[in-house]
Amino acid sequence: MNRLSFRKLALGVLTLVLFILGWKLVTDARLISPIFFPGPERTYAALVKGLSGGPLLAQTVETVERMLYGWLLASAVGVLLGALIGISRRARAFIAPTLELLRPLPASAMIPVAIAFLGFSDQMVLVVIAFGALWPMLLATIHGFAAMEPRLYEVSAVLGLSRFQVIWKLALPSAMPMILASLRLGLTISLVLAVVGEMLASRAGLGQSILAASRSFRSADLFAGIVILGAIGLCGSRLLSMAERRLLRWQAVHR
Amino acid sequence: MRVARFMHTCWRAALLPVGLILAAQVAATATQLESDTLASPADIARALAAILTDGSLARATLDTLKAAAAGCALGVGLGSFIGILLGLFRIADDLLDLTIELLRPVPVVALIPVTMMLLGFGAQMEIVIITIGMLWPSVVLARAAVKEVEPRLMEVSRVMQLGFAARLVKIVLPAILPQLFMSLKLAAGYALVVAVTVEITANPQGLGYGIMMAQQALRPAEMFAYLLWIGAVGWLLSLLLNATQRRLFPAHGRGEPR
Amino acid sequence: MSVSRLSPSVSRPHEEQASPAVQSRIGIRDVTLSYGALQIIGGISLDIAPGETVSIIGPSGCGKTTLLRMLAGLARPTTGEIVLDGQPVSGPSRSVAIVFQDYGKALLPWRTAAGNVSLALEARGCPARERPEIIRDLLAKIGLSRHADKYPSEMSGGMQQRLQIARCLAQEPKVLLMDEPFGALDAMTRQALQDEVLALTAATGATMVFVTHDLEEAIYLGDRIVCLQPNPGRIGRIVDVRLPKPRDQLLTREDPEFLRLRRDLYDLIKDDHQ
Repeated sequence: MNRLSFRKLALGVLTLVLFILGWKLVTDARLISPIFFPGPERTYAALVKGLSGGPLLAQTVETVERMLYGWLLASAVGVLLGALIGISRRARAFIAPTLELLRPLPASAMIPVAIAFLGFSDQMVLVVIAFGALWPMLLATIHGFAAMEPRLYEVSAVLGLSRFQVIWKLALPSAMPMILASLRLGLTISLVLAVVGEMLASRAGLGQSILAASRSFRSADLFAGIVILGAIGLCGSRLLSMAERRLLRWQAVHR
Repeated sequence: MRVARFMHTCWRAALLPVGLILAAQVAATATQLESDTLASPADIARALAAILTDGSLARATLDTLKAAAAGCALGVGLGSFIGILLGLFRIADDLLDLTIELLRPVPVVALIPVTMMLLGFGAQMEIVIITIGMLWPSVVLARAAVKEVEPRLMEVSRVMQLGFAARLVKIVLPAILPQLFMSLKLAAGYALVVAVTVEITANPQGLGYGIMMAQQALRPAEMFAYLLWIGAVGWLLSLLLNATQRRLFPAHGRGEPR
Repeated sequence: MSVSRLSPSVSRPHEEQASPAVQSRIGIRDVTLSYGALQIIGGISLDIAPGETVSIIGPSGCGKTTLLRMLAGLARPTTGEIVLDGQPVSGPSRSVAIVFQDYGKALLPWRTAAGNVSLALEARGCPARERPEIIRDLLAKIGLSRHADKYPSEMSGGMQQRLQIARCLAQEPKVLLMDEPFGALDAMTRQALQDEVLALTAATGATMVFVTHDLEEAIYLGDRIVCLQPNPGRIGRIVDVRLPKPRDQLLTREDPEFLRLRRDLYDLIKDDHQ
């Protein structure tokens, strides 16, 4: 988001207040049973209680750690492998079609396979996250390398740059916009798969926590968990957009 | 010469997958594979044939595709409508932007427990989750598309004093149709992913449930057959939508990120 | 084409080839280039002396750019060879710099002006602490001192092309190849850059091969003008330019010799177009 104007902020907050008010009215009028649908106050109370001394804080840390490890693993492998495949036209011709074939495969469909190999374990969840988040980064890097301006390859030839210099100084920066966008997508996928993995494998974390809350009809705890998951997603994508803007300053002025 | 070139490309593209399958089969035969986790390509092919003929795969596929299609249609329809409104009226955008930005990052799978509690299992809860999952991306894409409509066209519509409905139908919708289709295309692939995810996690129906059950029953050949089938469905879907897009909007979609 | 119309200063190709090639910087020896059955370049021979500026003109499709790319080592002749200081050219080398017309594509958008010049220094292994001074000198030489920290997207077309020239100079090339470098610039910028390029080649003693479709530019810059003919690309005429140096945008262009050359070349090119 670019700098918020005051008008925009005021109007935005106004809607948010109305939204919460509407939520309160719906629950106060008992349009939906409070067992299933808590009001904003009860959600807030559960949030405060869970974060101060309750289990919510530890679960949040668990989930964030899982998400970050999986994401970092996927990013490192994706960009490295993508660079190796992307720099060589021949490697692209042989490998890229297979990757394109695998791309539409839902990452969650790999969960049963991962369970078969690793059981209901933390490693299984990590592998699933890393596998799911790998695709966007791998393909973005390959495509970014392939889409590098051909003129720049000629420039590098005339200047006599080494292969490593071409990757490091030309191909990687020119693929950077695509890679950064895929990093953001990868983080979103990581969070989703962390939650799914925790739910399925009953590993500690917010995913398992909200599932347990729903099974025992603790709807306030459930909503508190969802609010935190939203906050994690928001922070993650905001941090990455900030990094993106910094790294792509050269592009921003273009518009 | 063109045919030769095409064959050349195909040969290089097919080498890796065919090689891997052959290697897996050779390895499985050589080790006389008997496992709860692995299966030889031939066993997987047999398992696929079995679930294809007994109708279970067709039923599961239909369940998944129905839920995905319904959720996709609802989500993209509703989302695009909201997005168009936000794109057309700055006041609406200013009012709703913050709330949308706050709701958007909530991972859609976090809604599984809620909908499970409110709606129980079944197609309905799956469709609700998919709808919400498709909603936000559609809002964002439609809003961006409307904001990029040539300002001159908007001025034309203002000079001609077109009413809102006429402006929408005659100017805005035709102008953003290619982007809307792209939004639908992206959503369709994503809807399949969400559907399978919901089925694996909670909902006892469809392809996701099928693959999960195959794993639980320690039938690896069937599990991999499901995996293969899910991949094929996803691939065919994207192939179909890409072809449709090229047909309907030949000028569009060439420079878009893949 | 009638020979009678040609002035004495317009010599025939075979006379030119007869001149000794011992001291030449660039030697083009019976070069042809074909893609499959299609012949692009059909036998070109030319010697270019050190410090000389040769302009290449000709109708589109005559292989001007292809010839330049072969000189840069970016394309290989099908037959014949190109020699640089007696050594056959087998690929790109740092002693031959090339300025592309599409400066927007040839610059790194993610590097500042200084960073773009630096790339050439990094490539030739210049130590990091020596780079800032060299970059400063080069940017000053080409009039970009105040824009060292700007990204290409923040610069005008003229500035971007200056930057590309600065990067080429950072290679310290013996030969500077120019592929219609000013074709996309406005007239004023174009003239300013023509003078700067002339001053730079005069100062560094670099040999320059300048491809252009603009007759006046070819005459203004060149010591010799090579007119190519299409289908396949070959040398039609080689014209010596006997205009006093240093050249001046007003005086040179009003010189009767300049006007005469322009008319001769115009007729020549026009014949090729028919």
